[in-house]
Amino acid sequence: MSTATPLRLSAEGITKTYGAFAALSDVAFELRAGEVMALLGENGAGKSTIVKILSGLVTADTGTLTIDGETVTITGVASSQAAGIAVVQQEYSTVRTMTVAENLFLGQRSAPWLWRPGRLVARSREILARVGLQDLDPRTRVEELSVAEMQLLEIARVLARDARIIIFDEPTAALSDAEIVRVLEAARRLASEGRSIVYVTHRLGEVFEIADRVTIFRNGRSSPPLEVADLDVDGVVARMIGRELGDLYPPRSSSMGEVALEARGLLAPGFRAPVDLQVRRGEILGITGQLGSGTAELVEALASIRPVIDGSLHIGGRQVQLRNRRAGIAAGIAYCSADRKRDGIFAGASIRQNLSSPWLSAVSRAGFIRTGPEADATKTLAGEFAVDTNRLGTKVGSLSGGNQQKVAVGKWSGIHPDVLLVEEPTRGVDVGARADMYATLRALAESGMAIVVSSSDTNEVLGLSDTVATFYHGRPTAVRPATEWTEHDLVREVMHREEILA
Amino acid sequence: MTTTAPPPTSTPAPRTAADTWQRKTARIVADYAMPLLVLFVLVLASVTTDGFADGANLRAILISTAITGIAAVGMTAITLTGNLFSLGIGSTVVLCGIVFLAVAGATGSVLVGVLVAVGASLLLGLAQALIVGAGLNPVITTLAFGAIVYGCVAVGTGGEVVTAGSVPVTRLATASVLGLPLPVIIFIAMTALVSFLTARTVTGRRMRLLGENRATAGTSGISAMKGTVVAFASLSVGAALAGILSAAQLRQMQANDLPNLTLDVIAAVLVGGAAINGGEASAVRTALGALLIVILGNVMLLQGLAPGERLFGVGAVVVVLVVLLHLLRKAGAR
Repeated sequence: MSTATPLRLSAEGITKTYGAFAALSDVAFELRAGEVMALLGENGAGKSTIVKILSGLVTADTGTLTIDGETVTITGVASSQAAGIAVVQQEYSTVRTMTVAENLFLGQRSAPWLWRPGRLVARSREILARVGLQDLDPRTRVEELSVAEMQLLEIARVLARDARIIIFDEPTAALSDAEIVRVLEAARRLASEGRSIVYVTHRLGEVFEIADRVTIFRNGRSSPPLEVADLDVDGVVARMIGRELGDLYPPRSSSMGEVALEARGLLAPGFRAPVDLQVRRGEILGITGQLGSGTAELVEALASIRPVIDGSLHIGGRQVQLRNRRAGIAAGIAYCSADRKRDGIFAGASIRQNLSSPWLSAVSRAGFIRTGPEADATKTLAGEFAVDTNRLGTKVGSLSGGNQQKVAVGKWSGIHPDVLLVEEPTRGVDVGARADMYATLRALAESGMAIVVSSSDTNEVLGLSDTVATFYHGRPTAVRPATEWTEHDLVREVMHREEILA
Repeated sequence: MTTTAPPPTSTPAPRTAADTWQRKTARIVADYAMPLLVLFVLVLASVTTDGFADGANLRAILISTAITGIAAVGMTAITLTGNLFSLGIGSTVVLCGIVFLAVAGATGSVLVGVLVAVGASLLLGLAQALIVGAGLNPVITTLAFGAIVYGCVAVGTGGEVVTAGSVPVTRLATASVLGLPLPVIIFIAMTALVSFLTARTVTGRRMRLLGENRATAGTSGISAMKGTVVAFASLSVGAALAGILSAAQLRQMQANDLPNLTLDVIAAVLVGGAAINGGEASAVRTALGALLIVILGNVMLLQGLAPGERLFGVGAVVVVLVVLLHLLRKAGAR
């Protein structure tokens, strides 16, 4: 593409800080008309912050934004839309009980004030055809659509708004290969109409397939736009990684014991292939993959939240059948989900009551809680996990993310589990508390627990784990000791699989 | 993000003295709002309303509070576990009263009447608990059961008044123990029992956690079904006792009796400051809430207000108190 093409959007000197943390520092970003610009970067590198700034969800501290030669100030979602920017969200904003046509014009300024069904359907057909949904009847209810069709409908909704700049925020995370092709086609078609596409993704393959240029974010800074044609996978990966490990992570396991948990040919809904897996006492097994890679499904199956279709699970060498979460707990498997606010903590209950919730019977006699032993036991536990023991009466909901996470993990220590499953141990946890969390997990492993950490943060998985297993598209792809991985290999493995691209 | 390692220490946010002081005050007011309010209303009513402080009137208030309060304290467990309210409590109470009178009259034994009424109520509660515990909406389920129960009672009695004949059931309502009417003693015992259950037993703690966050309860191995069954058992015992005592007091009962009971019971739970979505409720506060509502009704009755005006008054007070308690709790939290 020639450099003579006029710039659709140019942003300069964009800075955004949250407290002491600089999410973006002096970032420059540009878009040409009719191009697909990919945004790449690790978690926390800053790409989601720039998307939020463009879509008006957060306001930049400093910086200027120019769209088609005019200086634009984005103060909110409305002014972002007025500037011609539209975002295709990961999460669907459609109303499931309404028809496709109704959804297309829902809340759109261009919608007629009175909906005449015939006219609505006719206009819907035009728009649907442009995203490759020409065969879809606009009178279909959204809940009957497939996930990919919903994603395409989401794109069509944006089209109905007639935006100049369209941001795709990880649009293919939940889609299968065949479905991804349809989304990529839709994106390319929109670019050929002269619209500018910002394509945020974790999948390198998609970048090489559809992007014209790529901007890589690292540590809150951006690279100048690079022509995709001049790049290869290794070049991209090398530009993405480079976060320093520092002393954030504790030393690796000193001694591993016998196998605590083993899955043989485990198959559960959401897997595309059976999984074999082993964790030893004293070992931290890190499993990583992108959204939709199967890691979440695996952890849920191990936690006995998700039904197992086939294969077997062995704890301490014995095969077990775990019907539900309670059976899992009884078998010694503790589990902390990725979304601790939803199902990891009791926000309105005190730290003490949260900590004692899984092992109340241990501090009770004949069904009556013995408050003395409960207070002592929770105090000991809180001390081990660096939670302030003078605040055990405080509601957990009022703690910081890091302290909430300590409570969500720490409560399990009281049942002395053989296996601890933790998803995204440091999501929403600030850097200071991260080191605490890692030290805690390592200490639990050293005490003889087998720990499985599932994380989408490759740096974290590599730094914390003894063994790292990768997943891609519902399949296990590689298992190796952490010392045999480099961050480069790991990012490459997780983001880019040659055989699937072919 | 470049991460130089920070020292691994916990860093709880320090609280400033000022916000602790304000929060503490708000929390204390929220905690003791009910007793203070009851006291205030009592004094106000004694001064302004002729006949209020009269011994017979106070005794009537206590018995009336006992009947509403026993049902409300039972209901508290339902609200605590996140199951909102039982909308069938009014007709269940009437059913239990009628069963008690009929069985006592037929067998000549007050005890058999009591046992059969409690048993019937528990069976009804268990059936609802199994449905609600399986995930159905508690409001819809209990509303439907309430309608079915009312229908059965209306058809079963043919709209006639039911009595216990010559069996001396009244003693249950009029007997005095330690100088207090028996219903009041039962009310206090029920309140103490539910308080103890929710505060000091494993089952009660799990019920509270279940109401606080059902999903976390699930991942922590706390059974939603078990908590719901115990909550409905508490409700059923409360409904049965309220029905028996009410029937004993009136010596007769029919399908259309106690039309405002469901509203009064829910109002008592709400005025007692229970969190509607569960996780926070106290039997003692509910009991005081019931007392407050009965006193208000009594004062308005003595002031000569019509039933419609009294209902309006109670409704208005509930709205004001619930909003006020909510604001106080918000200020007290965090």
